[in-house]
Amino acid sequence: MRIRLSTIWSWLALAVVVIWTLLPIYWFLKNSLLTPDEIARFPQPLYPLEPTPAAFFNIFGFEYEMADGLVRRGSGQANQIIRGLGNSLIVSAVVTVVTLFVVLPLAYVFARLDFPHKNKLLFAILLAVALPPVSTLIPFYAMYVRLGLSGTLVGLIIVTLTITIPFVTWMLIGYFRNLPQVERLARIDGFSRFETFVKIIVPLGRSGVAVAAVIAFLFSWNEYTYALLLVNGTTANTLPTAISGFLFQHPEPSHLAAAVVLTMVPPALVAFFLQRHIAEMNLVDPVR
Amino acid sequence: MSRIQLDRLHKTFQRHVAVRDLDLTIENGELLVLLGPSGCGKTTTLNCIAGLEMPTSGRVLFDDEDVTAASPHQRNIAMVFQSSLLYPHMTARQNIRTSLAKQKLDRGETDRRIAEASSVLGIDALLDKLPSQLSGGERQRVATAKAIVRQPTAFLLDEPLAALDAALRLTLRAELVNLQKRLGTTMIVVTHDQVEAMTMGDRIAVMNEGRLEQIGTPDEIYNRPATLFVAGFVGSPPMNLIAGEIAAQEGRTPFVAGDLAFVPGTPIGAVGPATLGVRPQHLHIQADAAEAAIPVTVFAVEHLGRESVVILEDDESNKLHALVEPGFAGRVGDRLHAAPDPAHCLMFDQAGNVLSHAEPEAGGAP
Repeated sequence: MRIRLSTIWSWLALAVVVIWTLLPIYWFLKNSLLTPDEIARFPQPLYPLEPTPAAFFNIFGFEYEMADGLVRRGSGQANQIIRGLGNSLIVSAVVTVVTLFVVLPLAYVFARLDFPHKNKLLFAILLAVALPPVSTLIPFYAMYVRLGLSGTLVGLIIVTLTITIPFVTWMLIGYFRNLPQVERLARIDGFSRFETFVKIIVPLGRSGVAVAAVIAFLFSWNEYTYALLLVNGTTANTLPTAISGFLFQHPEPSHLAAAVVLTMVPPALVAFFLQRHIAEMNLVDPVR
Repeated sequence: MSRIQLDRLHKTFQRHVAVRDLDLTIENGELLVLLGPSGCGKTTTLNCIAGLEMPTSGRVLFDDEDVTAASPHQRNIAMVFQSSLLYPHMTARQNIRTSLAKQKLDRGETDRRIAEASSVLGIDALLDKLPSQLSGGERQRVATAKAIVRQPTAFLLDEPLAALDAALRLTLRAELVNLQKRLGTTMIVVTHDQVEAMTMGDRIAVMNEGRLEQIGTPDEIYNRPATLFVAGFVGSPPMNLIAGEIAAQEGRTPFVAGDLAFVPGTPIGAVGPATLGVRPQHLHIQADAAEAAIPVTVFAVEHLGRESVVILEDDESNKLHALVEPGFAGRVGDRLHAAPDPAHCLMFDQAGNVLSHAEPEAGGAP
């Protein structure tokens, strides 16, 4: 069988993309499983010769006894990691839930109903998406210091919502617009507008709801800019900013790698469990 | 079951008038078809009857009771939407059940009604499928089951068969009429398809630009159209319409258009510009010239098996249709003469209203 040149090219391109995305992830995963001895070796092994989960115990402050009887002590950064993980989970969960509660009705109303000044209001929402976060950083900081919100989880949640709400609304409007016109059917069946939304539209648009949740969760989990300025160095620190601080604390390399792998776990789980909905959310034709 | 009355129903959207002062009565148990081209206001009228749209002015009455402000559910109507709209995320059974969600029936009664409706429509095997797993015809049957399960006062159907292929449309059309006659429930069907209207309706209301052009039995609509619009809209191939004028000549009033001088079967009092309307089956083709015949050229011949349609072109390139025997031997380009049958022609004045009616032929539906 002759293989066409274009096939070779597309395989090549695919290989480049896969290596480009997965290599850094692999490198951290590998380093988190190496022994200190292996990390210190030059050249470093390309894969863990004797993989050990020690680093994952250490970063939560636990000791780990190796097979040869050597005990690896808990990480000095354990407190920062545990608190950062807790804070990140709280912020992301609250942001996801609040975003859904606000965005689902908002996007639905913009997509399916007509009201005065609709386009102007929509433009105002989209403007918030277009604004680079850095441009609002200083005003937020100044305001938060006065309000006593800097260094608090509430403050970080509010700031994150100012980005997730407009962005997810914008995404979902197109999705809701393409749902079939079931409202008339629901009115014939005797449902009120609110009942129609809760009992028909949300279950019908569950793929869109799932994707909205993923976007809101991932954005707030990965959020770094605002967290760095508003909560870094306080008890409200989140995992990404905490880890970035390790650069200057010289932790053990396998602990740093394990902490980074830890930040990748929740997004990976979310993507894994909701991938069917993400693939299903075809923006042109939501229901097939 | 209900008698539905529209009393000077008027509906405007911003500056666009959708329905103009419509008066209409639909008798109890009747199947009325609202027929007209797209944008004529027929769907808006149906939505006002359903309670989905609030009329700008006028009243909707169900059995002499004013329901203009009542919700669709209070009116207890059932509606089947264009392309048989169903909830896409629910199975057929859930879709039908949702129809009864607000009826406050006990579970046994709900299940009994669903079973009854699905056996009437022969969809028992489809109840656990999603709409996306059903064919167009099956979806239509489920939508109909969803409608009848409520035991409504009236069925309102908005282009129920438009999305189906021709063969299926024929079958389901007959099924719908049969079902309506068995249940005896008032039914209003909106369609732009005149064949569908003629075959289904007890009566047909022809609408154009928000106005009611004519209401009558299929026979009346076909054989005694009240306006030029109805004459041109109903019938396939369409009625031939020839513009000319009614002249005053020595006590006669012939219709004159170009070389044609034609005396209609019934004398006409009015004189002035007019349009002659003649159905394709009443346009006779002959070889010889005559005063009452139009010189034409054969443009195309369409063989339909039982008969043939000859498309003719007069000297001003106007197209005329004539129905002929299947053995018609004319070829494209032949010079012939087309003579309207004086006993079966209609005259319309400049405003489009009919001037005279020839006697209709017996049982003359298409």
